[in-house]
Amino acid sequence: MSTPILSVRELSVTLGGGRASSTNVVDGVSFDLLAGEVLALVGESGCGKSKTAEALMGLVPASLGSVRARRLRLGEKELLDLPESALRRIRGRDVSMVFQEPLTALDPVFRAGVQLADVFRRHRGLGRQQARLAAIEMLSRVGFADPDLVLRSYPHELSGGMRQRVVIAMAMACRPQVLIADEPTSALDVTTQAQVLAQLTDLAGAAGTAILLITHDLGIVAQYCDRALVMRHGRIVEEAAVRQLFAGPAHPYTADLLAAARGGVA
Amino acid sequence: MTGATGQLLSVRHLVVRYDASGSRRQSLTAVRNVSLDIAPGRIQALVGESGSGKTSLARAILRLLPIASGQVLFRGQDMATMDRRQLRTTRRSIQAVFQDPLASLSPRRNVMQALLEPLDHFRIGLAAEREQRALGALETVGLDAGLRHRYPHELSGGQRQRVSLARALVTEPDLIIADEPVSSLDVPVQARIIELIRELRDRLGLSFLFVSHDLSVVRRLADDVAVMYLGQLVETGPAANLLGQPAHPYTRCLLASIPVPDPDHAPPSVVAGEAPSALTPPGGCVFHMRCPERIARCAAEMPEETRASAPGTDHRVRCHLWNR
Repeated sequence: MSTPILSVRELSVTLGGGRASSTNVVDGVSFDLLAGEVLALVGESGCGKSKTAEALMGLVPASLGSVRARRLRLGEKELLDLPESALRRIRGRDVSMVFQEPLTALDPVFRAGVQLADVFRRHRGLGRQQARLAAIEMLSRVGFADPDLVLRSYPHELSGGMRQRVVIAMAMACRPQVLIADEPTSALDVTTQAQVLAQLTDLAGAAGTAILLITHDLGIVAQYCDRALVMRHGRIVEEAAVRQLFAGPAHPYTADLLAAARGGVA
Repeated sequence: MTGATGQLLSVRHLVVRYDASGSRRQSLTAVRNVSLDIAPGRIQALVGESGSGKTSLARAILRLLPIASGQVLFRGQDMATMDRRQLRTTRRSIQAVFQDPLASLSPRRNVMQALLEPLDHFRIGLAAEREQRALGALETVGLDAGLRHRYPHELSGGQRQRVSLARALVTEPDLIIADEPVSSLDVPVQARIIELIRELRDRLGLSFLFVSHDLSVVRRLADDVAVMYLGQLVETGPAANLLGQPAHPYTRCLLASIPVPDPDHAPPSVVAGEAPSALTPPGGCVFHMRCPERIARCAAEMPEETRASAPGTDHRVRCHLWNR
C-alpha cells in the first residue's frame, strides 16, 4: 500500500497561453497516489480539480494552455519525458479515466460492444472473437444481467447508469494501475450512484487499481476513499487520511466544507 | 385567504400524458393520479429520481404542460375554470424558479431589467415605484444593490440563483415552485440558498413546492415530503415522520443509498435494478420489481393509499405491507 504508483510534484496548469490575462488554474500541486488506494480530490467547481486530472492524462491542448511539472511519474516511468505516441499507449492501458458524462466517452454511432471490444483489441492485441468474449465477461462484471443485449445497443439506447457502467467496463478492461474518475456519478440518481460506486471500487480492488476520485461530495469521500486531498484556488490546502480529515480538519476551508455537508451553514 | 380546506394549492387526481411519437402511436403517462396539498407557509418537497415525473407534475401545476385529467385548485378554485382576470392574478401568486439560472435569465438583460419585467407585465405599482420594489427584492435575497447593473455572466452561480429568487419574489407571490433550485450549486452555496428559502418562508409566510432528487437537501428544509416513483406518489407526510420512520420500501432504499459524510457510518446499500420505463409500467405496485420486501400481492394489485403513522399526522403510503 505504501509505494506511490503515481507521483506528482509541482504540477501547474496555466490557461491563456502566457498572455497578461493567463491564470494558473492548477498551481504547484504535489501528491502521491499509492498502489491500490482510493484517493479523493475534493473541492468546489472551479478549484482546478478537473484540470489537474486532464493535465495528468496529457489532455490539456497546447493551444489552450501550458502544463508544467517537476515530476509526473507513473511507476518507474517519467511521463514528462515521453513522446505523445508513448503516452497514447499508456492512456487506456496503464492509466484510464472515467468522466462525469458517459456520453462524452462513448461514440454515438458505434454499438457499446464494438467500443468495449476495441479496447481489448487495441491494448491487449486480442482477435475479434476473443475481444468479444472479453467484452461480455467485463460487462457481466459491472453488473449487467444480459451483456449480449448491451453489446448490441447504441449508447442512446442505454440509461445514464448503464452508460456509465459501460464506460467503467472500458476503463477497467486492461486492469490499469491508475484510474482517474472525475465526478463519475454526479449525473446519476442516488440509487444508481450506489450501484456504480460499489462496482467501481470492487473492480478496482480486485485488479489492484489505485483510484484518484474527483468529487465535490464529502459523503462519497467518507464512504469510498482512504485518503483525501482538499483543493482550493488551484492548490492543495489539506491532505489527510479520511478518518482524520473528518475527525479534525486542519484547514479552516476543509472545516467549512464539512460543516456545509453536515447541514450547517458555512 | 385560502380555500375551504385551508390549503393554498390542491392537486386532485392529476394525470399528465405525453404522446410518444415513434413507430406506433403510444402515450407515456408521466403523472398518474396524483393528489397533493400545499398549506400556506409550508415547504413541500417533491422527491424522486430522474424520470419519476416530478418535473412534469411541477410544470403541470404551472400550466406549462397540458393536464390530461384531474384538477389544480388554487385557494380552492379550479384553475381550469378561472376567467382571464382570475388566471392572471393567480399566475402572479404562483412563481417559478428553475435549476439552471443561466438558462432562465436572459443573457442580454441586467439584474434590474430582469426584476422589472414581471412588474411591468403585471403592471404592479406605478412605474416610478417599480425600481424601489426591485431593489427591495434584491435586499430580501441578500444581494447588494450595487449588483443591479450586472449581467448574468458577471455573477456567480449562487448570485444568479438569488436573482432568480428575487425575480420570483417581486410579484409578491404566495407560492414558489422551485424545480431543483440548488442542484447546480456547490455545497456551501447550496447551504446558504437553503437558509434563504427557510427565511423567506418564516418572514413572508411563503409556501414552496421544492422539487429535488437530493434527500440530504430535502432533509434540511422541508416541512412536508412527497416521494414520487414512476409517476405515482408512493409516500407523503410531514418531513419528521417520513424521513424519521420511512414507511415505503422505496423511501427506505432512497435514504439508504445516500453516502453519509461520516466515515463511521454504514456504507450506502445497493438496490437492485433500475426504474422501469414509464412507457411500459409494471402492473401492481410501481416499485415491486425492485422491492426487497415484496410479497405475492405486489405484482398483482396496485396498493391503495393507507395511513402510515398514528392518527393525527397525515403520513400516507401506497404499500401492501401497510394494508394486510
